Amino acid sequence: MSLASLESSRTEAAQAVSLSGLSKAYGPIEALAPLSLTVAAGETVAILGPSGSGKTTLLLLLSGQLGPSSGAVTLVGREIAQLSPGKELAQLVGMIHQQFDLVPNISALHNVLAGRLGEWGLFKSLVSLVWPQDRPMGMEALARVGVADRAELRAGRLSGGEQQRVAIARLLLQDPAIVLADEPVASLDQARAGEVIRLLVRIARDSGKTLISSMHSVELARAHFDRLIGLRNGIVQFDLPSSQVADDMLLALYDIKGLRRED
Amino acid sequence: MSTVPEIHRFTSIRPPKVTFIGATAIAALGLIVGSWVFVLGADRVQSQPFFSVETLERGGRFLQALLGIGSSSTPAFAQWAAWQDTARLAYQTLAMSVLAIGIAALIALATFMFGASNIMRGELAPYRSWVWGSGFFVVRAFYTFTRAIPELVWAMLIIFMFAPGLLPGALALGIHNAGVLGKLSSEVVEGLDTRPLLALRSSGAGRFQVLAYGVLPQALPRFITYLFYRWELIIRTTIVVGFVAAGGLGLEFRLSMSYFHYTTVTLLLIWYLVLVVAVDLIAAVLRRMAR
Amino acid sequence: MKIRPLEGRRLLTIILVAAFAWSLFNVDWGSGLVNTGGLRAAGHIASSILRPDLSLDVLDKAIRASWTTVAYAVAGLTLALAIGFPLGVLGSGVLFRSSWLRRFNVAGTRLVLAFFRSIHELVWAWLFVVAFGLSPLAAVLALGIPYGGILGRIYSELLQDVPEAPLRALRSAGASEWRVFWFGRLPMALPDMLSYTFYRLECGIRSAAILSFVGLGGLGFQIRISLDDLAYGRVWTFLFFLIALVSLVDVWSSMVRRRITA
Repeated sequence: MSLASLESSRTEAAQAVSLSGLSKAYGPIEALAPLSLTVAAGETVAILGPSGSGKTTLLLLLSGQLGPSSGAVTLVGREIAQLSPGKELAQLVGMIHQQFDLVPNISALHNVLAGRLGEWGLFKSLVSLVWPQDRPMGMEALARVGVADRAELRAGRLSGGEQQRVAIARLLLQDPAIVLADEPVASLDQARAGEVIRLLVRIARDSGKTLISSMHSVELARAHFDRLIGLRNGIVQFDLPSSQVADDMLLALYDIKGLRRED
Repeated sequence: MSTVPEIHRFTSIRPPKVTFIGATAIAALGLIVGSWVFVLGADRVQSQPFFSVETLERGGRFLQALLGIGSSSTPAFAQWAAWQDTARLAYQTLAMSVLAIGIAALIALATFMFGASNIMRGELAPYRSWVWGSGFFVVRAFYTFTRAIPELVWAMLIIFMFAPGLLPGALALGIHNAGVLGKLSSEVVEGLDTRPLLALRSSGAGRFQVLAYGVLPQALPRFITYLFYRWELIIRTTIVVGFVAAGGLGLEFRLSMSYFHYTTVTLLLIWYLVLVVAVDLIAAVLRRMAR
Repeated sequence: MKIRPLEGRRLLTIILVAAFAWSLFNVDWGSGLVNTGGLRAAGHIASSILRPDLSLDVLDKAIRASWTTVAYAVAGLTLALAIGFPLGVLGSGVLFRSSWLRRFNVAGTRLVLAFFRSIHELVWAWLFVVAFGLSPLAAVLALGIPYGGILGRIYSELLQDVPEAPLRALRSAGASEWRVFWFGRLPMALPDMLSYTFYRLECGIRSAAILSFVGLGGLGFQIRISLDDLAYGRVWTFLFFLIALVSLVDVWSSMVRRRITA
């Protein structure tokens, strides 16, 4: 089986993500004000904002790891609360974090093949630890992210950039309709960060996946993503195609003086 | 401003707060004094006084006997034939220790992940259920039980079932050490970095798959470290278990003691030290390989 | 060049499996492996776990035996401290600046410590019982010597692992190596040293219990005579006392350790 056979028709629905009145409060603190928006299938969206603005909260809500205080998340036409947390959710959403996504003591290839665990039964996954199953598929994914030569190395021995590439390769095998990324390049140096973001966006576009990523780097977000959403104090400041986001909007978004003091 | 002195007055009336560490120090001191009083005054309880000139003389005579001084026959440790006879026993003792650590490792490997609270009922449990929650307690109770009973007592119990030999001794050592290894390894799992495990979960892995792909590989290096550390202790204990389970050097030691063949005892002790040093060296080499 | 990083581990796996197979091969798997009636005896022992002998007489014996066991463990551990602390300090080599003296001392002390702990406490006990008779002295020495060897080794490692920067500051203020030790190194290593000593107390209880095998009193002695009498109910009573004692010390020592090393 090859990767191409996976890149399936899971993304048929025109709307990949739809939020209606979604909000989240931790006790008295409102992390995210009620928010309604839609993201079209195949769109690439970057969420910008100072730290504490609600970016991570929004991603956690989208991934189903956090329940909302009000409102609902609908992914590819299905409400997230109705999905079972395991395999079903994994087919819709895949997530990549800043770091520590990989199991450090197994090889890069095994980490990538772990993207297939939702499909494999327990027996097949145990066998795979000794004789890797679907190996061609895993190698192809590693080749696409440019680290095929690292397949047999333990993930913990790879550089930060290589680890993120392997995490992207795992997403290729998991093949979710929507990819969520939480500051995926925040712990990499500038050059690596640019390469990895370019790769992530290209792969998402090539395979028709929807990509929603929080970003700490405004330049990278503007250069590579279709659409930018500015969040501040849990409130959306702008939601525009990248080309229409003006410099003064960004300045206002990160303006220190206006930041909420009470929390 | 007038409230400040009042607070001071109020707090100074309270009895001095006894901290846990303070109480521990007092308890430890009390235990030490109490035990020495008991041990030194034991001539009322036991048949022998704690110490006398006579004990010292007796000790001196025993030491001479161990070294073969004042005996007309050649000491056993100076006879080539005696070395050859006992080499086989040393070989058996080594085999018993390997069998024991193997049994301990198999039992611990099969259970340790189910003795970790984060897997069974903490953040890594996908849902809470009494089956998994009570599974945790069963595994931990098993570890406490097997660990609390010393190897020698296990051997005394097991020897009722099996014919004397390598197996009952190895079983006794294995069961006790399964509890030790299991507890240590479960605690390793409880201290693991959960981020890679949660990432596996979010990429669609089920509970057992997270165990196989995330928990086991991350815990295995420490497990191996503990394995060798326990093996080094097991080889020291094998002779003791042999006293009752009748395998290897232990039985011969017991017999030589009973028949007052003290120079043979010395020979067996030399073999014993050789084994201990050999195992420490082998474990050091293997440990480097695991890295 | 192809990198094969997993080779060491694969080799290790093969070695471990082969070693286990070799040990199995050494067992006499003949027909006489299980005692005739052995299964029935095992069943008897196992089923008695639900019927421990809780008569007053047995409980009284169990409490006395528990105290004897605790007293041996604590007295043995104090002796171990008296042996382990000075030898540990010597073996860490931190008191010497001259290098050849230091090396000679460290090697010598470590050899002695290694010898002390190589021999199991029960073997020591037996030797001492033959040497000194059934005196509590034998029990205290039998525990104190191997435990002293273990404590000494761990203490010397902990004393060596102390961070150097604060010590350098003391030295530059003109403190002698002796003062650096008392006012810098020891206070820094002390929490871990105490913590480890407490951990050893738990092991000491178990060890003290089995000293009875060679005739010294305590829980193990009671277990042994009950087994000889085939009074399994009594065996379990004493075993439960032992388990409770070990668990109690385990809980106590882990609480203490959490507090002093946090």
